[in-house]
Amino acid sequence: MARKSRFLIGLVMALIVTACGDGGGAGTTGAVTTGVETTAAAATTGAATTGAETTSPPSDDTPIKIGIIADLTGPFTTYGNSLARSAQLAINEVNAAGGIAGRQVEVIVEDIQTDVAATVDKARKLVQSDNVDLVMGPIGSDANDAAYAEVVEGGGKLLFYTETYEGGKCNELYFSFGAVPAQQIRPLIPILQEEYGTSAMLFGADYVWPRRSFEIAKPIIEENGGTVVSELYLPLIAEDFSELVQEVRETQPDYIFALYPAVWGAALTALNDAGLLGTVGIGTIFLGDPDFAGIADLAEGSYTALPFFTVADAPGVQPFLEAYAAEFGEGEIPSGGEGVGAYNAVWLYKQAVEQAGSTDPAAVAEAMVGQTFEGPTGNVEMMPSHHLKQTINLVQAQGGEYVLVDAFEDMDPEEDCSL
Amino acid sequence: MPDEAAATKGNNKVSAISGKGLRRAELILLTLLMALPVATDNAFLVDRIGRYLLLAVFGLSVDLIWGYGGMFTFGQAAFFGGAGYVVGILSTREAGILPLPLGATLAAAVIGSALLALGISYFTIARRGGLRGVEFAVVTLAVSVALERLANAGGQVTGGQNGILMTYRLGPLHQGRNFYLLAAALLVVTYLGLKHFLRSRPGLIFRGIGQNEERVELLGYDVARVKRWTFVLSGAIAGLAGSLFYLHEGIVSPAAVGVGSSTLVLLWVVLGGRGTLLGPIVGAVVLSYLTARLSGTLLDTWLVVVGVILVVVIVLIPAGIFGFLNRERPS
Repeated sequence: MARKSRFLIGLVMALIVTACGDGGGAGTTGAVTTGVETTAAAATTGAATTGAETTSPPSDDTPIKIGIIADLTGPFTTYGNSLARSAQLAINEVNAAGGIAGRQVEVIVEDIQTDVAATVDKARKLVQSDNVDLVMGPIGSDANDAAYAEVVEGGGKLLFYTETYEGGKCNELYFSFGAVPAQQIRPLIPILQEEYGTSAMLFGADYVWPRRSFEIAKPIIEENGGTVVSELYLPLIAEDFSELVQEVRETQPDYIFALYPAVWGAALTALNDAGLLGTVGIGTIFLGDPDFAGIADLAEGSYTALPFFTVADAPGVQPFLEAYAAEFGEGEIPSGGEGVGAYNAVWLYKQAVEQAGSTDPAAVAEAMVGQTFEGPTGNVEMMPSHHLKQTINLVQAQGGEYVLVDAFEDMDPEEDCSL
Repeated sequence: MPDEAAATKGNNKVSAISGKGLRRAELILLTLLMALPVATDNAFLVDRIGRYLLLAVFGLSVDLIWGYGGMFTFGQAAFFGGAGYVVGILSTREAGILPLPLGATLAAAVIGSALLALGISYFTIARRGGLRGVEFAVVTLAVSVALERLANAGGQVTGGQNGILMTYRLGPLHQGRNFYLLAAALLVVTYLGLKHFLRSRPGLIFRGIGQNEERVELLGYDVARVKRWTFVLSGAIAGLAGSLFYLHEGIVSPAAVGVGSSTLVLLWVVLGGRGTLLGPIVGAVVLSYLTARLSGTLLDTWLVVVGVILVVVIVLIPAGIFGFLNRERPS
């Protein structure tokens, strides 16, 4: 018995000592440094310092560090995986092509567990302990608020957010690569009104993304000759949709513009049970391929506008999907926006660092604006508002599958952030 | 370490909180506590462990009522996270007398948590026919669920799903080593205070209640009163730790008061050993650290690994690490 308890005390001590040992490292995946990179780096610094290699700044042959905070467990796993994997894919390609300004890219992935407290912790780790050059992620807009405070405001580092979101964030060091409301709503509203009629219902989960999106949608609906007959918010994960059913019955909208991402299937089921699903058109800006697959029957006929779908027909789409499946397994696909956003973000970062000639956050931020890149879904351009001009694809669910309706190139984010 | 096992010998016939072995364990942990900020230059690590020390205080607040008084709670995050919300709301909203100064928000958070506990006690603790065991747990669970929903649906006041970004910082104590020292001091004071309380007369009655509530009641003690005020004390401790924790986090969001957070603290207590005080401290720090480390190295499989570790520990030593060390043994 004494031996057993000695072992246990030893175990506890060992755990604590490990804890004290090295909180710093962790999660370094991929990006094995190779000789190629060293030669390239030597060439660059050699030119700059006219042969005096010994005096070249040490940073020039060290890897550039990109930290990724992604939700790899918890409710946002689908999107977190899509973000982390797409970024990794782009980083692998960048490294294979010689890195950024001759330096290899090292990526540190941290799981933030669909949890704000974990986001704060991991963002601090990447900024303070790993001293990364860039942080990418996260998914949720609450986590984005937390990451923004830690990385941009607290840490003075670049934060690249790649998820579809409500827009409105504005900081020298903050860049958004996902779609923002105006980009998605402009293509969506006309087709809904053409097909179903002009009276609109706005139905959303009660938080900032739906609320801000609807504020942006209202003038667009009016410009297109429509009227908003109802605006309803339910809790993020409601259990009772009788209010929704009653509202649809009373106001009889021609279409519902819905932003109810967490349990959209439950809301559709309630409408279906009430016999309303066939009587009203439905448009969304959140239902990417993986989410759609689970509720394809209920979503039949509805329209969705997002940057990326597997049915998108830009020339870069199939190669992107093939590379993704080759790297992460057959049948694995990136979801609606954060995947292609992360992929574009890595390449734009490479271009900006090479143009700025440094990884200094302020210098890279300045060089980011105006960068263009031919991404999987077409051309993208970083606007002065630090939001991305890009292609938005519009699909309709037909016979259990998404069918491409149209692709809208060069959609302006219409964010007024002047820096 | 050859001596620790021997040190626990002869301990604990009387109680789990006395004896030579305990003193030695306390010394070891105190040494580790003081050594960490000296042993490493990694300010982030020190800061990170500092957060875990506040979580350990949260764990102590649960161990007090569950470990010693048998009051199984599924809603302790209502006090810990609720205090974060009180600080957030009172310090960021500009209306009337708001925002309050930092000290006042902290005081309000502690008082608020205590009052919430007092409120809950009026529905659950009574002279006769109060709620026990699962019934009490269900009520605390309901409070936690209700608060999470309230936080989600609170619009401008609670910031809904996104929560509240803190405007106050803890001044020079906000980060790194200083923050660690603040957290460590709070932990030590809480630990010593609880130890003292559990040896006091009401503390002894409370522990008696944990052993056999009917018997203590039949002996003529006012069981309801002791339970009520110990529960309030537990809420206030969780509130103090929570207010500092979320100020340091910089953000408080609905999950802070939710069931997930309320359950996590139970795991720390179970892992470390309930009714041991030291156990939950080790449980909170070790499990939080493992989670943070493994979720960065194993990425999407870390949950399985942590789960397996927990199951193995709980199956092998149901009394937890310190419960095992403190167990009765034939002399």
